Amino acid sequence: MSPLLSVEDVSFTHIVENGWFQRPRKFVLSPVTFELNAGETMAIIGENGSGKSILAKLLVGAETPTSGAIYLNGQKLKYNNIKQRCLNIRMVFQHSNESLNPGITLGTILDEPLKLNTQLSPEERQEKVEQTLRLVGMLPEHQYFYRHMLSDGQKQRIAIARALILNPQIIVADEPFAALDPSVRSQTVNLIMKLQRDLGLGFIFISHNLGIVRHISDRILVMQEGNVVESGKTDVIFNWPKSEYTEKLVQSHQAMLSKN
Amino acid sequence: MALLDIKNLTLEIDGTNGWIKALDKINLTIDSGEIRALVGESGSGKSLIVRAISGALPSNWRITADRMTWKNIDLLSMNDEERRKIMRNEIAVVFQNPLKSLDPSATLEEQLLESIPGNLLDKGYFWQRAQQRRVIAAKLLHKVGIKDHKRCLKSYPHQVPDDICQKFMIATALAPNPELIIADDPTRGMEITTKAQILRLLTRLNKTKDLSILFVGHDLLAISSMATSMTVLYCGQTVESGPMDKVRKRPLHPYTKALLDSAPSFRKDLPPKSPLSSLEGTIPSLQHLPIGCRLGPRCPRAQKECVKAPEPRRIHQHYYSCHFPLHREKR
Ligand SMILES: Nc1ncnc2c1ncn2[C@@H]1O[C@H](COP(=O)(O)OP(=O)(O)O)[C@@H](O)[C@H]1O
Ligand code: SF4
Ligand SMILES: [Mg+2]
Repeated sequence: MSPLLSVEDVSFTHIVENGWFQRPRKFVLSPVTFELNAGETMAIIGENGSGKSILAKLLVGAETPTSGAIYLNGQKLKYNNIKQRCLNIRMVFQHSNESLNPGITLGTILDEPLKLNTQLSPEERQEKVEQTLRLVGMLPEHQYFYRHMLSDGQKQRIAIARALILNPQIIVADEPFAALDPSVRSQTVNLIMKLQRDLGLGFIFISHNLGIVRHISDRILVMQEGNVVESGKTDVIFNWPKSEYTEKLVQSHQAMLSKN
Repeated sequence: MALLDIKNLTLEIDGTNGWIKALDKINLTIDSGEIRALVGESGSGKSLIVRAISGALPSNWRITADRMTWKNIDLLSMNDEERRKIMRNEIAVVFQNPLKSLDPSATLEEQLLESIPGNLLDKGYFWQRAQQRRVIAAKLLHKVGIKDHKRCLKSYPHQVPDDICQKFMIATALAPNPELIIADDPTRGMEITTKAQILRLLTRLNKTKDLSILFVGHDLLAISSMATSMTVLYCGQTVESGPMDKVRKRPLHPYTKALLDSAPSFRKDLPPKSPLSSLEGTIPSLQHLPIGCRLGPRCPRAQKECVKAPEPRRIHQHYYSCHFPLHREKR
């Protein structure tokens, strides 16, 4: 059986304007290859600017790779078929605050992707909005709320709801926990793990929080300066890191832990 | 000896329906040479405490305290000039979000040179003094681990990466040789290796220069790896404080326990992918504060008595404010 997602030699090149390095610099993402099964979680770790967010954007089709191919259930994704992509691989953005339109109700925010991508009738869409709100632990009443009426944790839930509403098979999230406080963070982590168990969702996320990475991921991709320096099972990466860079990351984390 | 000693600090903000206690009887002390962590979720009032200490509060807010002293001198009765002098020379604040606290239109060199006070320079002609300033600036940058000081100083704030920016902020704060550094969430959003660097830097400054540190944030892993004591804040109230190892190993307040349990790294026995423990709901806004113990509606141990605010109690140096602390069985 083919894996849920299979990424083969996907690469990307573009020019970055970067003040610190004075001159514009070429950013090259070297070919990336990995597979993800249904219900599995993969974490992408590495320093800022190493290409983590670019990779996430390539997966959801927000950027077009220079070379390589992405297969969903064994079927090659075509770059001009944005619709197929949108339905199956959805992104939760880093700052849910900025990505939620403040001027419209949450119900409308959730309804938009349905209107654009499905043939559902208004009643069916309404039903789907309420069902998705419940799925992420919110109430049907919340469809009449605006962004400013929500707490950070609730905003994150809405961002996840918006990603879920088209019944995707994979969710890609860029730093989904970074802006959250400890208790809300745990709630969100629990929500995602539950959705994976219930729906078999594949989950790919970028994070600096190695505690959470270790707890919820099955697999890790370590990136540095546009290269995947290492990838493998979470346990293996933490216990037997191969590259010097991964070892440094793991050690920084362990050092903080061991002082306790 | 306590450098900073705050007892029952209350800060009231004029809300639409009367005064709101944004901070309610806060207790906080920082001893000389200590690294104290001030821990709490966003909106718990950490930054308000920092602002109250630095005197940067709007004049229409009501601030009262039984005691608020810096080296035994009362901060509240001091005039603005005296207060500013202390904040310039003895207490330095590193704010969260370094980019916002730097002037975007000036080079980092201009901003760092400006923060070096004249009394640290020898007498001499102004060009000699300018030269001395540059030498000190380079030393400061080396001290915080910025090796390429020339490139850094030439840049404008938006041109440098976040971690360099944060290190630069610490360098600026160190310039006047302060006795206390208040770091408000200095490692927020940082990648782990950079974070480890900043923490090592602060720890080293604490050891070698006997610098006291108030480390503000909610990154428990980072905090517990460096702090010697910790004060936990919830919703504008201090719920627990004490030596780091005591509070970590044996939290007495339900909120502290929940906070510690939420970090998977602390729970070595936790099976992979098992649900993380977490309090229900979220921290209430100032407009909807519960009466009595503010944790009440979210607290698994809450009972009738909790509508009365619990008085602080203590066991040795370990303080807590709860009617049903964890060392006692729930009735
Ligand atoms: N200028 C202000 N006017 C009114 N309320 C404020 C102001 N600044 C902060 N607050 C409120 O005070 C509470 C504590 O805020 P803050 O100290 O910033 O929390 P923290 O730093 O712990 O995240 C929050 O509920 C916040 O909304
Ligand atoms: S006083 Fe009551 S509500 Fe507050 S923390 Fe203790 S048990 Fe919970
Ligand atoms: Mg703050």
